Amino acid sequence: MGSEAGKDKKMEHRKFETIRDARKRQNGTDPLGANSEIARKLKQYYDDIVSEKIPDRFTSLLSQLEEREGPSSTTEKD
Amino acid sequence: MAAANGFREGLLEAVPTLRAFAVSLSKNADRADDLVQETLVKAWDKQASFQPGTNLKAWLFTILRNEFYSQMRKRKREVEDVDGSMTARLSVHPSQDGSSDLADFRKALALLPEDQREAIILIGASGFSYEEAAEICGCAVGTIKSRVSRARARLQEILAIEGEGDFGPDAISTQVTNSAALA
Repeated sequence: MGSEAGKDKKMEHRKFETIRDARKRQNGTDPLGANSEIARKLKQYYDDIVSEKIPDRFTSLLSQLEEREGPSSTTEKD
Repeated sequence: MAAANGFREGLLEAVPTLRAFAVSLSKNADRADDLVQETLVKAWDKQASFQPGTNLKAWLFTILRNEFYSQMRKRKREVEDVDGSMTARLSVHPSQDGSSDLADFRKALALLPEDQREAIILIGASGFSYEEAAEICGCAVGTIKSRVSRARARLQEILAIEGEGDFGPDAISTQVTNSAALA
């Protein structure tokens, strides 16, 4: 019977740990919780936009800027 | 010339994540691309002040964020969006319409205050550390942590309400707006 009581105590201890861990996650080091539902959706939302093809306007803008050559010429740096 | 090429490549590589950050901040795809364009031009002009070997992505995010807030200050008098109803309508990115799980999430995200939204995006999606995010936003690490924490709690609250039934997009946004007003 002694082992039964020990088991209960162990369970209780584990439950306590879980609550404490959850609280720690919310207040302390990791407020987002990397594996939470919110974190997953957030990633999905963001990566959806990231994976879009880069609009042509940006590649041509960068080419234009390069042709224009910056105000402080990049060759000056060396 | 090689250095210039490297810088140009670096900017180009950052464009997808800059767009995602810009959409998250401005909640409007057209405005987001204008923000990215402005960021690239500013970055190009300021490239002498960028220290090679430091975090280019963080540097670009800082420029984009500053640009966003300075534009917002200018527009503040033009568009007053107090209750977020406009926000909910503007929040749909053209390539992401439809009534998915993701659409609900986007609407919920749009209801967050700017400071909380940017914090949770920088940490949870853009892949920055708390220290980097604090530097980008010009605030303390603890401030970023509490903003992320509040953002998460608020999103959970909003999405739990939305999850109750299968409503059309309009019903959902009305419901979200109402619940936001009541909260």
